[in-house]
Amino acid sequence: MMEEDKIKSENPLKVNRRHFFSQLSVGIGSLALGSLLIPDLFKNSAGQIAQPTLGIPHFAPKAKRVIYLFQAGAPSQFETFDYKPILRERMGQDLPESIRKGQRLTNMTANQDKFPLMPPKVGFQQHGESRTWISDFFPHIAKIADEITVVRSMHTEAINHDPAITFFQTGSQISGRPSMGSWLSYGLGSENKNLPSFVVLTSRGKGNSQGLYSKLWSSGFLDSKHQGVLLRSGKDPVLYLNDPEGISRSDKRHLLDQVSSLNKLHHVETGDDEIESRIAQYEMAYRMQMSVPDVMDVSKEPESIIKLYGEDCQVPGTYAANALQARRLAENGVRFIQLYHQGWDQHGNLHDEMEGQAKDVDQASAALVMDLKQRGMLEDTLVIWGGEFGRGNYCQGKFDPNNYGRDHHPRAFSIWMAGGGIKPGLNYGQTDEFGYNVVENPVHINDFHATLMHTLGLDHEQLTYKYQGRRFRLTDVAGNVIKDLLA
Amino acid sequence: MIFESYIELPALVAWVGRWHPLILHFPIVLLLIGIFLGLTGKKVPKKLLTLAVLTALITAISGFFLGRESETKGNLLFWHQWLGGGLALFAALWYGLEGLQLKKPIYSKILQIVLLVLILFTGHYGGMVTHGEDFLALPVNKKEEKIPENPLIYAHVVDRILENNCVSCHNANKQKGQLLMTSLDNLLKGGEVGNTIIPSDAENSELIRRLHLPLEDEEHMPPEGKKPLDEREIKILERWIALGASDTLRLNQLEDSEPLVALVKGLMEPDPMEKWKNLPKVADSTLQNLASDYLTINRIAINSDALSAAAFLPPEYDPQYILNLKRVAQNIVELDLSGLPLGPQEMGLVAQCTNLEWLELDRTPITDVEIDTLKNLSKLRLLKVYDTKIGDKGVGVLKELQSLKSLYLWKTNTSQNVLDDLKSTRTNLIVDDGIDDEVKEFFIKSDSLVEEQ
Ligand code: HEC
Repeated sequence: MMEEDKIKSENPLKVNRRHFFSQLSVGIGSLALGSLLIPDLFKNSAGQIAQPTLGIPHFAPKAKRVIYLFQAGAPSQFETFDYKPILRERMGQDLPESIRKGQRLTNMTANQDKFPLMPPKVGFQQHGESRTWISDFFPHIAKIADEITVVRSMHTEAINHDPAITFFQTGSQISGRPSMGSWLSYGLGSENKNLPSFVVLTSRGKGNSQGLYSKLWSSGFLDSKHQGVLLRSGKDPVLYLNDPEGISRSDKRHLLDQVSSLNKLHHVETGDDEIESRIAQYEMAYRMQMSVPDVMDVSKEPESIIKLYGEDCQVPGTYAANALQARRLAENGVRFIQLYHQGWDQHGNLHDEMEGQAKDVDQASAALVMDLKQRGMLEDTLVIWGGEFGRGNYCQGKFDPNNYGRDHHPRAFSIWMAGGGIKPGLNYGQTDEFGYNVVENPVHINDFHATLMHTLGLDHEQLTYKYQGRRFRLTDVAGNVIKDLLA
Repeated sequence: MIFESYIELPALVAWVGRWHPLILHFPIVLLLIGIFLGLTGKKVPKKLLTLAVLTALITAISGFFLGRESETKGNLLFWHQWLGGGLALFAALWYGLEGLQLKKPIYSKILQIVLLVLILFTGHYGGMVTHGEDFLALPVNKKEEKIPENPLIYAHVVDRILENNCVSCHNANKQKGQLLMTSLDNLLKGGEVGNTIIPSDAENSELIRRLHLPLEDEEHMPPEGKKPLDEREIKILERWIALGASDTLRLNQLEDSEPLVALVKGLMEPDPMEKWKNLPKVADSTLQNLASDYLTINRIAINSDALSAAAFLPPEYDPQYILNLKRVAQNIVELDLSGLPLGPQEMGLVAQCTNLEWLELDRTPITDVEIDTLKNLSKLRLLKVYDTKIGDKGVGVLKELQSLKSLYLWKTNTSQNVLDDLKSTRTNLIVDDGIDDEVKEFFIKSDSLVEEQ
């Protein structure tokens, strides 16, 4: 950072056109000339285009925090929210080329010479006043149909898990960019200084799963204090947070003060901001020794809440336990709570595996939304449920309606959102009758990010960070806020 | 467009004109020095006066040439030219008088005062020609009067968008692109390129085309540096043209499914930031002083003095960190005190936050006595008091809070009939008294995970 400032101040050529003219206009006499060349020079200097300041939103936000229930592996839209009766009518027939249009496939199905259409084995029903189609795998989510907004027109470019999930989490298929939780932490600051502003909780179902890597919650080139903190189930939610035996809290305080004064000396010497960040991190860890066990302790939750999330929420490490934890973290001012539930990659044995996966998440996801609602937290907490892409409408491998699989499909898939300034009970976007392509109101991942940031009071074009000579955004160079989704 | 009219002038003449804004400063300064010396009874050096008059004449002539470049002469330019010409003439007169060595200095003095007045007015009009009529005006807000219930789409909506974003360059005084945007007739007449507005064909209308150009495009409107229209404003103009660019069309004449309806209604909603405009100013340093590890205090948004504060429970609770908020009580619009062992002192602070719109007091030991202190929070929109000891008396107080839209009060000592009464008398108030029993029952019965075992 120091280096950069130094270079800037020493390099008079780092002046852009506008600077040049405004400098020019300072010269006596040429003042008017300058203003004639740029008629509104003076008006601009009054700051019509606001500069982003960090730690506060650009405009009044609807949401203050996000709980992202990520279904890693990509649940099939055909067995969740996108009901396509034609798949049953034309079961086994080849997917018309007019629909597929030679789209790129993964090497798992690219060599198939037939693409027989495969209907879902699970039933579908319409629910709520919104008449939202939801599969019978999700009886609990069906109960909150009017609280959620289902978006059936999501699309992405990535066709494999790692780039796809990286795209969702960081806005880029190539790893290295900051995760969306880090961007929000950077843009909004923390709500509770005793907890990290970005927390990650993971769980795993019995279905076929793909790896999760810490790069998904990395802060990339942003200050490392914005990095996601993985909370583990069990005695030590944060590794190495607790003091070793025999160290008292006052000893620890003394140690921290000494280390901090040394660090400060070093900071004066080098000007490296990461040192300040480290000092702050030590301090937060010290406070977290008190705050984390308190937040993680679900034993104070009343019986009625346990029942709501399902008995499983008392078993650490389950999705249900994480969902309840998510509510507690949100209540305590954590900005971004990222859950991952692994096991949604059904290339085969889809029906049975999805049934199990759905059981893991259905009740707890719906319970979370209802619990947030009764606490008035749905007014300022955005809940998102979804995977990294969709799945194909045709059978992967041998055609067998009782034991089928679906390959990856990036062109259309479904997610749902609730609360936090999103219109409830909406069915947004449409796919064609085969569920293959988006035909109405497409929502690209960049649009999704832009919209999410908008609900948090952030302008996705203004929240930037300059790194290696260019400004970066979560939405890179794209993204539109989907106004129709906003309440 | 500058270049086309430019061709009609000899290039050199036009070039001389371009020096006007540079040269004009010399006669102003020189004449002012001369006038100052003259009025204070000192002798005005001959050389100074010569130079002043000479530059005044050159300025006037160059100004005349520059004026020729502008096709349309608005009022501003007209006055600027005449005043400037007069100024040069009077300056020459002064020069002549000095030469005559009049015995009565009073004539000189009158002349100097006239010159002073002329300099002021010429300069003022000149400034308005370059920077716009409102450049020197006191800062006034853009046209922000409320849009009437059932607005005329052109007069109340479209014209307002143009007025706020375009008219500063497209008016009688500053007719860029030879386009006047002050009336529908003028818009339909169009500018130099033409086809500014083609009724029922938004796509081919020059005006719309320019709005959609990339920001950095030379032809984008408004030009670079000005705040571009937002998506909604562009869509409104587009739909209005698509529907025939009529000036008699009213909102209620449109079908509900017509996108313009939602767009205009969106515009009619008050900007949430507007209502906080008149809050007392708060310095960043004040906020930094108030904030601590257990108290987060932020502006609601950049440049806003409305604050949002959230307190967390420290290992040793002392209410002082909350009571300190008194300094900014007027500014706090959102306050989260949930889960704290609140007492009368803290509630006293809450009562002082009269601009509060959002208040969280859930999971605290408050009772009906403390609820009484909320009486004067007339702007309160959301209140969380679930898991507290408030009872029916407290509900009576809350019932009177007319702005209240959301109330969370399950797990309290309230009785069902009082809640029912509240729900029926305050229909615009959403009372959340917990998860619906039937749904709860369903969740308990169908615990999917237990079933599996
Ligand atoms: C800062 C001054 C400025 C503002 C503000 C401005 N314009 Fe212009 N406009 C110009 C100039 C200069 C031209 C002529 C140059 C050109 O054609 O690009 C022009 C030309 C045009 C033309 C082409 C006229 C023709 O037929 O040649 C249209 C249409 C137009 N503007 C529309 C708009 C609209 C709509 C707005 C408001 C959203 C707007 N302008 C705001 C300066 C401005």
